[in-house]
Amino acid sequence: MLRNQRRLLLGLFLGLAVVLTGVWVARLMLPATPLGPQQTVYTNNPKMGIHTRLTDEVEEQKIKRSLEMVREMGAPWVVEYFPWAYIEGERGRYNWVHADQVVAHASRQGLTLIARLGFVPTWARPKDTTPLYLDEENFDDFARFVALFVERYRGKVNYVILWNEPNLALEWGYAAPDAAKYTALLRAAYPLIKAAAPEVQVLAGALAPTLAPPGSEFGVDDLVFLQAMYDAGAAAYFDVLAIHAYGWHFDPDSPPDPAVVNFRRAELLREIMVRNGDAAKPAIITEGGWNDHPRWTRAVRPAQRIAYTLRAYDIAQQEWPWLDALCLWVFRFPWDQNSYQDYFTFVRTDFEPKPIYTEVQRYARASTP
Amino acid sequence: MIGRRWLWLVAGLTTIIGAMGVAWLLTAGQDAALLPFLRRDYTWQTIQERGVWRVGLDPSFPPFEMLDETGEPVGYDVDLAHALAATWGVRAEIVAVGFDSLPDTLKARKIDSIVSAYPYDERLTGDFRFSAPYFDAGLRIAVPRDSSIRTLTDLTGRQVGVEWGSVGDMMGRRLQREGMTMTLKSFETPDQMISALLDTQQVEAIFVDNVSLRQAQGAGLPLRGVDAPLESVPYVIVMPHQADTLQARVADSLQLLQERGVLRELEERWFGARTAEEQSQ
Repeated sequence: MLRNQRRLLLGLFLGLAVVLTGVWVARLMLPATPLGPQQTVYTNNPKMGIHTRLTDEVEEQKIKRSLEMVREMGAPWVVEYFPWAYIEGERGRYNWVHADQVVAHASRQGLTLIARLGFVPTWARPKDTTPLYLDEENFDDFARFVALFVERYRGKVNYVILWNEPNLALEWGYAAPDAAKYTALLRAAYPLIKAAAPEVQVLAGALAPTLAPPGSEFGVDDLVFLQAMYDAGAAAYFDVLAIHAYGWHFDPDSPPDPAVVNFRRAELLREIMVRNGDAAKPAIITEGGWNDHPRWTRAVRPAQRIAYTLRAYDIAQQEWPWLDALCLWVFRFPWDQNSYQDYFTFVRTDFEPKPIYTEVQRYARASTP
Repeated sequence: MIGRRWLWLVAGLTTIIGAMGVAWLLTAGQDAALLPFLRRDYTWQTIQERGVWRVGLDPSFPPFEMLDETGEPVGYDVDLAHALAATWGVRAEIVAVGFDSLPDTLKARKIDSIVSAYPYDERLTGDFRFSAPYFDAGLRIAVPRDSSIRTLTDLTGRQVGVEWGSVGDMMGRRLQREGMTMTLKSFETPDQMISALLDTQQVEAIFVDNVSLRQAQGAGLPLRGVDAPLESVPYVIVMPHQADTLQARVADSLQLLQERGVLRELEERWFGARTAEEQSQ
């Protein structure tokens, strides 16, 4: 009797093991979200772009849907963030799964992907520092990662942004922003990128538009910081200037003024490029736009946001030959931020298009197939 | 022999379970759900000891909270905070905090509660306690006071005004996609939309947030909200997660203020009176 019971238990155990193994194998063999056929972006304005936020989007189907909707909106350019710490959580051990998905789907949707790289793994920074902290002694680690990135995605990612808003203390883990230090980062990464994939365009800057006074512990005026980058010899270590161009509550035709943060502040950054003999280099706006939160002090009415956005895309196309693309912040978040940030988006977290999405689509696709 | 083994086994298990319970009690602190008699709401206790309820709000959202000409915070939420504090025999102290910083300020215990037209956020229930809603700022259908329109379905075949790009605009487009046959007309500002409804009769109804609707009514415009909100945005009072006593006191006091007609008085003070029909909705 006891023996029969043991046999029965053993049989049940083996049966369960077989079933579980079968499920596991079937899951491995099941195709991931299909890429679908190769797509093309139809648009009246080839400079239109948008910053997606797929970093924390865990479902591949939603990654695909986001990028489909960008294509359907008529924007050929996307900026996406690829955190170093997510890919190389342990030194020398890489997890490319999520990055592979984003790159593959962007490519299949016919989008030009600009990869923003940053976010430091714990092994590359001292204890008790934030993931934005990076000492100069670890610049080579970052450079090596960037080179691996461009090598892996050669032919699919031709633009990389090195770091984000380096003129803010926050973006250096609360270390003092230093143009010479940022230039040293560019100097470390640029040759490795060019050795791995010479055609890849290196974007630098992505400076936060800020009016921080001299000596501020929080940041450095972006105009001051860019000049300091040139003074430190940065010109030789980037191919495109990345610009952040937020309009706050000003319309896109408000004239540029060093004492004002508005959309045309981009022209002041351009003037600095020209003054430093860098006129031949293009620029790309990798963040920018307007917000229509009902109570945020820097917001505008929803109708203004639409009108300003369409006008900004027109300015990029018609008035700024030195600008390759205007990528606005931000297409969609994986979940609600429950703050003014939600009012920068073009579609809701459930993919419901906001009116601004439909209006931009109408603008981009008028008389296109 | 076997009996002694069982005894040791039971004793051992009891010790392990007991130790785990003590450890859980120590680590879970005030959140220890199984031992409510050991819990203490330090927020409520501190409010009682100092005689002051520190309320955080962002005074930039009229008529809920703004600064008067002397720089003092005034508005619906300010009055609500004072009224609630009075029911507990304490004083409300208003602390001005930027809207996006309010949750962190509460977590850091710089304030005891948030009363700042704060929308209920399901994702924050693990971090904070919430009161029942005291105002719904959601999307409404508004019509002229003498309109025959009573429900959403009455809008079939009608001209409906929306603020271009707004949540109302998005809702209108969604309803059209779902098969509702109404014509949407876009306006650049809520004022233009309301004028198109009341002055020029270009539209027969509008989609408008309840704050704008109540403000327009308060300004004496003959508008009426009909049917349930198309999208609900309930404003709630936010409290620390450990503040279960405070949450219960807020619930009791809101109920009391409701029964005494104080909430209606507050709404009428800052938005104007509602029609009898709306009050019955």
